[in-house]
Amino acid sequence: MSADGLEAVFLAQRDVLLRFLRARGGGEAAEDLLQELWVRIHEAGARGLGGPVAQPLSYLYRMADNLMRDRYRSERQATLRDKSWTEDHSGAMPGVSDAPSGERVLIARERLARAVAAIDALGPRAAAIFRRHRIDGVTQRAIAGEMGVSVSTVESDLRTAYRALADLQEREDEA
Amino acid sequence: MDERRVRMRDEAVAWAVRVDDPGFADWDGFTAWLEADARHAEAYDHAVLAAEAADAGLIVPASTPVIRPAPALRQPLPRRRALGWLGGAVAASLVAVAGVQVFQDRAQPYAVETAAGETRVIALADGSRVALNGGTRLTLDRADAREVTLERGEALFTVAHDDRDPFTVHAGNAEIVDLGTVFNVVREGGETRVGVAEGLVAYNPDAENVRLEPGETLVDAQGVIRLGRAATGDIGGWKAGRLVYEGAPLTQVAGDLARATGTRVAVAPAIAARQFTGVIALPEKRAGFVAELGPLLDVEVQPGEQGVTLSPRNRVAP
Repeated sequence: MSADGLEAVFLAQRDVLLRFLRARGGGEAAEDLLQELWVRIHEAGARGLGGPVAQPLSYLYRMADNLMRDRYRSERQATLRDKSWTEDHSGAMPGVSDAPSGERVLIARERLARAVAAIDALGPRAAAIFRRHRIDGVTQRAIAGEMGVSVSTVESDLRTAYRALADLQEREDEA
Repeated sequence: MDERRVRMRDEAVAWAVRVDDPGFADWDGFTAWLEADARHAEAYDHAVLAAEAADAGLIVPASTPVIRPAPALRQPLPRRRALGWLGGAVAASLVAVAGVQVFQDRAQPYAVETAAGETRVIALADGSRVALNGGTRLTLDRADAREVTLERGEALFTVAHDDRDPFTVHAGNAEIVDLGTVFNVVREGGETRVGVAEGLVAYNPDAENVRLEPGETLVDAQGVIRLGRAATGDIGGWKAGRLVYEGAPLTQVAGDLARATGTRVAVAPAIAARQFTGVIALPEKRAGFVAELGPLLDVEVQPGEQGVTLSPRNRVAP
């Protein structure tokens, strides 16, 4: 299915997508978000990324989900930046760029190291499954086949890994 | 955390895991869960974002380069002893960033780093350009663009030549001084390798003073210097995705592949000294590439937890 086809599906499924965006945290802004989604579909088509899409509706849902992820990510980063700015620069030097300070870079690295350690602490199988899933983007069914375990084992290992990282983040946010 | 929040968190994690599967299709079910409670969307966002926290550390091809500004020094950088000083720079940067504006003419060191699998080109104030291969750390000085230190990794220097102020690369204990030039430097495992593509380079002009012309290469393995030759087009070939070897030890090939692909590559001791001659064309998509190189390198590529190991092939007895 081409980008044109995708647009046709978008128009036909407008209401379901709107409902999804509303529930996905868009609330009142869901109409605007739907508009943003429409623009993204156009852009993807213009860059030749529209490609053939096997499951167009599922694809549109995923784009909508990614749109919300991006929004959450940038909101969170903005909050963290403001927070660390006021903490670092209570007597700020005027005209100092907001390039990452050495300290902030170090903190980011330490966070990364702790996150990796949290994954490694799950044991080799869960850590390997998590890598394959996150980094290589392999389906859970394919991972199960590769590692000779059941799909529910893969899913359960992934849940454990996600939970460990969610716990870690919670602790770090409180710190 | 109370029981209800834990349950919501666990549900959010379960949905994040399911949605992250490329084959996920139950969007109706997901929508229903989101609609069941207005707080579900945020719990889900939390789980999704938290799961990203480790990504950059698992395999690193796409992470952004790190530029770490270091504080200004009261004293200019001692030229030959740059490395020892830099160890303390990280700790010092925790203490004070103030003063950078004041000492414009003092040494203002900063570092540019690339993750393995990532490359980057930086332009210096004097018009020189440096292409950094993956897994590379270079320290520079804002007050003096003509002096850089390759702490580790590989870089291709295209230098704006100036007779009165030669461009100097520090690597290990050596100085590499350009006399008008494009040259490549690798610093890895206590070894420094230099190849000259254009112009002329002086290696350690105050000591051995080896002059390298285009097509000449030098390996300094802890003070033992060997000279060699390479086609000028192959020097810095990594930049164009080509790794060219003539009798190179497998450990060197492994180091180059690790920088280029982001996969850690170890070599089993039994074949560490084995030599390789050939060309490796790096594909656009480099994750997982090393695993395909077994036949070309005549090795077994064994996946491990942190990366891969090149081992002798298991030959079936006749």
